[in-house]
Amino acid sequence: MQDTTPKDIGSLSFGLMEPEEYREMSATKIITADTYDDDGFPIDMGLMDPRLGVIDPGLECKTCGKHSGSCNGHFGHIELAAPVIHVGFTKLIRRLLRGTCRECSKLLLTEDERDEFRDQLTESRKLSRDLNDVTKAAIRQARKKDRCPFCGEIQYDIDHEKPTTYYEVQQVLTSEYSQRIAGAMQGDEEEGVERTTPDELAEQTEIELTRVNEILSGSFRPRESQRKAIEKALDIDLTEEDTNKLMPSDIRDWFENIPDEDIEVLGINPERSRPEWMILTVLPVPPVTARPSITLDNGQRSEDDLTHKLVDIIRINQRFMENREAGAPQLIIEDLWELLQYHVTTFMDNEISGTPPARHRSGRPLKTLSQRLKGKEGRFRGSLSGKRVNFSARTVISPDPTLSMNEVGVPDRVAKEMTQTMNVTERNVADARRFVSNGPEGHPGANYVRRPDGRRLKVTEKNCEQLAEKIEAGWEVNRHLIDGDIVIFNRQPSLHRMSIMAHEVVVMPYKTFRLNTVVCPPYNADFDGDEMNMHALQNEEARAEARVLMRVQEQMLSPRFGENIIGAIQDHISGMYLLTHDNPRFNETQALDLLRATRIDELPDPSGVDDEGEPFWTGYDVFSELLPDDLNLEFTGTVGDEVVVEDGQLLKGTIAEDEVGEFGGEIVDTITKVYGNTRARIFVNEVSTLAMRAIMHFGFSIGIDDETIPGEAQARIDETIADANDRVEELIEAYENNELESLPGRTIDETLEMKIMQSLSRARDNAGNIADEHFQDDNPAVVMANSGARGSMLNLTQMAGAVGQQAVRGERINRGYEDRTLSHYEPNDLSAEAHGFVENSYTSGLTPREFFFHAMGGREGLVDTAVRTSKSGYLQRRLINALHELETQYDGTVRDSSDTIIQFEFGEDGTSPVKVSSDDDNDIDVDQIASRVLDSEFDSETERDEFLGTRPEPTNLSEHADDRLTDGTEVSSDD
Amino acid sequence: MVDVSQHELVPEHTVLEEEALEEVLEEYDIDRTDLPKIKRTDAALPDDAELGDVIKIVRDSRTTDQSVVYRYVVE
Ligand SMILES: [Mg+2]
Ligand SMILES: [Zn+2]
Ligand SMILES: [Zn+2]
Repeated sequence: MQDTTPKDIGSLSFGLMEPEEYREMSATKIITADTYDDDGFPIDMGLMDPRLGVIDPGLECKTCGKHSGSCNGHFGHIELAAPVIHVGFTKLIRRLLRGTCRECSKLLLTEDERDEFRDQLTESRKLSRDLNDVTKAAIRQARKKDRCPFCGEIQYDIDHEKPTTYYEVQQVLTSEYSQRIAGAMQGDEEEGVERTTPDELAEQTEIELTRVNEILSGSFRPRESQRKAIEKALDIDLTEEDTNKLMPSDIRDWFENIPDEDIEVLGINPERSRPEWMILTVLPVPPVTARPSITLDNGQRSEDDLTHKLVDIIRINQRFMENREAGAPQLIIEDLWELLQYHVTTFMDNEISGTPPARHRSGRPLKTLSQRLKGKEGRFRGSLSGKRVNFSARTVISPDPTLSMNEVGVPDRVAKEMTQTMNVTERNVADARRFVSNGPEGHPGANYVRRPDGRRLKVTEKNCEQLAEKIEAGWEVNRHLIDGDIVIFNRQPSLHRMSIMAHEVVVMPYKTFRLNTVVCPPYNADFDGDEMNMHALQNEEARAEARVLMRVQEQMLSPRFGENIIGAIQDHISGMYLLTHDNPRFNETQALDLLRATRIDELPDPSGVDDEGEPFWTGYDVFSELLPDDLNLEFTGTVGDEVVVEDGQLLKGTIAEDEVGEFGGEIVDTITKVYGNTRARIFVNEVSTLAMRAIMHFGFSIGIDDETIPGEAQARIDETIADANDRVEELIEAYENNELESLPGRTIDETLEMKIMQSLSRARDNAGNIADEHFQDDNPAVVMANSGARGSMLNLTQMAGAVGQQAVRGERINRGYEDRTLSHYEPNDLSAEAHGFVENSYTSGLTPREFFFHAMGGREGLVDTAVRTSKSGYLQRRLINALHELETQYDGTVRDSSDTIIQFEFGEDGTSPVKVSSDDDNDIDVDQIASRVLDSEFDSETERDEFLGTRPEPTNLSEHADDRLTDGTEVSSDD
Repeated sequence: MVDVSQHELVPEHTVLEEEALEEVLEEYDIDRTDLPKIKRTDAALPDDAELGDVIKIVRDSRTTDQSVVYRYVVE
């Protein structure tokens, strides 16, 4: 089957094609614009000539004998009646016309200049710079020459009229020369220019008097030297511009004479690309496979846009030839020539500015060659870099706290569609038969099998039983996804490497992908309708790589800051806080219930016995069960207290965000670095399940009443705000009486604004503090703010105290009407109220005016985020484009694809941030590493050696291998 | 005119001797044009640096104390 083994690409070369090459590769010359005859057969030497390839299945290609699908098609060619310009090269043609001699076609540069540019070219090539800079400079230098340094011919300017017309601009004697000379000889009294007599003119210009008179009468045209003399004598200009159109044939002749060595100076390889090949004399006709015709429902054939365009070209080409043979006038020939040029131009690019696009009969512009390649839907961005892939699925995501972070819940209907290739051996033949006998509908079933002879058979409900019996070693079975398969999971935008991670499949009912909430931060996912993509891997190598490198647990440490980005979030943190903050007591049933979803099925010795004689366990005891037995830690925690863990027992402190949270939770981070990713995965999974049990044990809810304060507190807040208003009034009064002293470096106006802002923000803080006094520590909003689960005290202040000053661009609100924010206020009212201070809290409700100001501030925030995301998206794209080819080499250097060194040592120090311990102050926490090393040195040596030598590194294990790992027995891979 | 090369924030730039250069190129198995570039007009360059020279730059580094890089002088 594998008769089309991929081959290595040795090299690629770009260049122009010679007309003879077009003819050689052509399967046939195309001479007629007709496509099919009356019987529906393609016409020989027509645009659908069967030698150009086959599109109808079943037919044989007349050139290569293959069938449709395996024959790629073959080019034909059209002999153009007259040369035309290739639109893709108009700029280069213009450059060459300007830089070479109109007579001898040599490059207008002296030997020295040529040498210099040649040197610059080799230098630029070595430094892989843009050669265009050098060649442009060379042309600029050449254009400065008025005369050819080789043959002495005068050089004229070249005008380029887009897209494909070139003119030579010559300065010639104006037809009004006699009048202009006569006029100048009259002189001008006002300007003080004296009259000139013919005698004087003859004398000044050294032209015979009779000639002067002849010139003045208009019967003799002065020669160039005479013209210049007269111009100089009378200080006038006797020339006018004359444009001389260069026909493509002229340009072709011109370019044919450019010597090879001159082209090299312009960075063109003459072996591969002669400039005259930019003027087409032969037009290649793309194979029919590139422009297939389609048969409509009514039996009519509809041709591809390219075919339509080729028909036009052939028609004009024929008319051109007929007219020329009939000896038509030059004007008609030139018109036809231009028409031919137009059709060839739009055949290649139909979106040229200044040229009306060629249109279909319906008025739709034709999609020609360039349109097929360009743009988002074009061949490059649309078909090559943006390919849609098989073995992928996409659906809405929803949370499932019972899954491990390594797992993904896959809907059964997806699992039955996406398959894994199973190579049947003697060891798995029984499984394979079972899959096949389940058929395509049952799960776990199979959809296809491949016999050893390569034939693929579809498994159907009807044939599955029979087929299952035939399965032997050597067959291939495309079986359904089953629990434990590894797949790749992704959420757009894929901004960092944790946006694509590998998960193990858990097949589930219903229609959504399910994931554990702890993987929301790396994917930046939530469940308000987010969708994610899944890709099933199709060979052992890919599956192995995904399992070892891409699994969620392997991505726990962020390469950005070297700490864990996966950890407890939101309710997990509230739950841990409730469990550990006051270290509550639990009886045996409760403690076992808290730990029921973990590996722990036996409680440690109880902490004590309560008044009724029942043994109890504390929150610390329960949490400590999840810690590694020999973990030691000491740090300042979220709540500000000391957290102490000794020998895997939590002794002091509250477990919250900074302990087990997503971005650098200390305990998670330490476990990942010291005990490995597998242990960390188990820990995070268990912390999240324990936290869910804990939060359910205590109960956790929030409502309006949790943010309301007693009337007495409300009165105090009103008072604070009234005080602030008074203070603002005082400031305004002082300002109006010019008694306000300006702060250093500020104007009076700025000083006033700053002082007002200060007193108002103090007012809001005071209001917040008053509100806070009335909230108990067990208030759910306070619990969430203190533990770092969600929200802050500021949110609480705004809900219960006062919302405070609204700002646009960091200032009080100053916009709207002339000298005031709203028509509700007097002009120039400086008061707090008139500039967006919101006295009310969210609970008490905003007044209409406050609401409006609040919306102004809120709108700014929305605009900011919208602008930021688009800006940062574009920045990200540019960074990726600049950096994607960089690679760290085995010698530690970072190089790009052309082996240029970017860094001599990766990151200057050759270390990966995820492999290194760090803290807030140091990127590398040398102290911690050293103390750990010393610790292990000082303790009883034999013990340490044993410990260091025998503690097995947790390896990449399947989700279902945990039990074996924790038993402490030898670990064996299950896949 | 201020001589920036004397500023404390400007690391030490020296022209690499031909022999040392050969060693560097050998070590990394490259041509000198594969090195990072520095403009001849760069104010930090020593006075005797010429087009085509290779400059050795020794920087202080937070993580490795000192880091050495080489740059090729270009137009
Ligand atoms: Mg969302
Ligand atoms: Zn063929
Ligand atoms: Zn010449």
